[in-house]
Amino acid sequence: MAPLTDTKIFMKKIPQSVYYAIFTGLFGWLLVVSFNSSKRKPDSVGELFTDLSWLNNWPKWLDTPLMKWINDGWKVFIAEYGLIFDAIGYGLLRGYTELKQIIVQAPWPVVIIAVIAITYFSSGRKVGTTVFVGICTFFIGFLNPRFWDKAIETTTMVVLGIAICVIIGIPIGIAMARNEKVRNAILPILDLMQVIPAFCYLIPGIILFGLGAIPAIISIFIYACPPLIRLTDLGIRLVDKEVIEAAESFGASRRQKLWGVQMPLALPNIMQGINQCTMMALAMVVIASMIGTRGLGDEVLLGLQQLNVGAAIEAGLAIVLLAIVLDRMTQAYGEKIQERNQPVKKK
Amino acid sequence: MIKKLQTSLIALVVSVFGFFSVPLSTASAADCSVHIGDFDWDSANIHTAIGAYILENGYGCDVQVTKGSTNPILAALIDNQIDIIFEHWTDNNVQLIDPELESGNLVFLGVNTPASEQAFFVDRATSEKHNITSVEDLAKPEIAMLFKDPENPEKGRLTSCISGWTCYTINLVKLKEYGLDDLYTNFDPGSGGALDAAIMAASTKNQPIVTYYWTPTSLMGKPEVDLVRLTEPAYDESCWSDMMTVVEDIKANGPEVYKPSCACEYKDMALTKLATGKFAKEQPAIIDFANAYTIPTAVVNNMLAYYVDESGGDMEATAMHYLETDSSWESWVPADVAAKVKKSL
Repeated sequence: MAPLTDTKIFMKKIPQSVYYAIFTGLFGWLLVVSFNSSKRKPDSVGELFTDLSWLNNWPKWLDTPLMKWINDGWKVFIAEYGLIFDAIGYGLLRGYTELKQIIVQAPWPVVIIAVIAITYFSSGRKVGTTVFVGICTFFIGFLNPRFWDKAIETTTMVVLGIAICVIIGIPIGIAMARNEKVRNAILPILDLMQVIPAFCYLIPGIILFGLGAIPAIISIFIYACPPLIRLTDLGIRLVDKEVIEAAESFGASRRQKLWGVQMPLALPNIMQGINQCTMMALAMVVIASMIGTRGLGDEVLLGLQQLNVGAAIEAGLAIVLLAIVLDRMTQAYGEKIQERNQPVKKK
Repeated sequence: MIKKLQTSLIALVVSVFGFFSVPLSTASAADCSVHIGDFDWDSANIHTAIGAYILENGYGCDVQVTKGSTNPILAALIDNQIDIIFEHWTDNNVQLIDPELESGNLVFLGVNTPASEQAFFVDRATSEKHNITSVEDLAKPEIAMLFKDPENPEKGRLTSCISGWTCYTINLVKLKEYGLDDLYTNFDPGSGGALDAAIMAASTKNQPIVTYYWTPTSLMGKPEVDLVRLTEPAYDESCWSDMMTVVEDIKANGPEVYKPSCACEYKDMALTKLATGKFAKEQPAIIDFANAYTIPTAVVNNMLAYYVDESGGDMEATAMHYLETDSSWESWVPADVAAKVKKSL
């Protein structure tokens, strides 16, 4: 209830009409600025009233100079803060190359056995899932030996991307669930992140981080983090009121309520978020091959650019197999938690 | 009351439309009509825009522009549906165009941009500091380390052509032939936009870069970008064809089938203009103008940069900017036409 009363007080302080006046003023200012900055404006404002032909087609001078502002701002931004991004990029690159080297240098049967072992334990010793994941992993290399190292590169990027998503996304999700104001502020940002075309941040990413894996990992964060944030938020808010009331009646503090009751009960939803995050991360890595990111997407792109449909589909299938492996591993873990959380009588 | 309102509304709508339709219909009744073929890359667009502007305002012609991919536009030109094109990548379409020129269906109108380049480039600061002017200068480990590949730190990164394009494989073979293969990765930037962004990033951050690139392009005209072309062994027809055999083999069967052959620089292509024989007979004055039309590569690069950065993506404004700031075009046309063009600016 608290946020609602807050906004009421806020509304009382500044009457609605002031807002309207501010917005109208801004709009008028924007019109004047667009007219003045246009290269195709009439010689004088008076001409607009004598020659009305500008009402026919959208006039060239009625054009917000947003593009110019963004470009100018972007130049200053790179000059002032470029070093910070170089540092972030360097750190990520170290992590990426080290992790990649470890997996690439391991003999391939060891990697397959490791994948099988992880799936076996994370799925709660389900034999069917484990065998299926093992076969899929084997078939990635079996499709084309070249794909093995590329699949590892792709996986490394996906894993790093997800790690960043989890570190940043889950706290944001928790904050959203606990505070209405934070939620209202963050939701439009999530919409923007999910809807803005990938190329709008892929190409600027090159200028900040250089060609290759790093802009891809950053793009994974932008593209794949929103579902994780949304599902964390949803999971926490969906926890039964009665359960929370019970916790409160035992005198649990806010922190105890969160970590002792809400988080464990929200975990299946959060795992679903991580699963969605993984799938979207994989999709992004494929798109990122357009900015020189190595990996399986690179093979698809090459196949398509040479109109070699066979090669493109072969690489596409390898991506599907990789997706199945990653999906089953994260999904199986989520199911295990869910089963653990079920009331005992259902079993 | 309502009916009255309705009729007055209709009257208003009619009068408004009548009023606006008048200025629209005055533009016809010209001395000549020209149909220009345009293509889907920006250097062609700029030449078309300048040509169209001069024809429209200087010669008073009725100009129609049709834009499309290379093959459909050239087919329309051969079919005489289009009268003239202002940019033609001659060497790419020799087999298609040469017979038409011989039969007189098409006429050659000379060069529009003296040279288009494809080559390896190094940023000027690095080139001057370490005295790198040719591909041979690249073949030293300490030079390669200037361009360190962050993902493969033992090698330098040569930002190359897009994999899948023939130039990627050509560059691969060139690296091997020039002995640069062990020192540099032939790095595929993934797309044309990414290659541009990589060059732009290195230029704004003053980082060393060695890259494959080509002109005329808007990027080359930007003030931040200052690249030095590296010299390679001079273009030689037989050497090139030997190399292309290897290149085609690699494209079909993978890099394992590489055989030592030969390598030399890309051939600089002159960009030309074409018109139909029919149009040339009907409009000799316009053909004289089109024959004289030529703009140096550097100027085209600058115009493209102006188009991208300043004009807000307005090709006609870019053409007008060129006509206002440069006077070399006045020698292409008779004085009275030049005066008319100037007056309209």
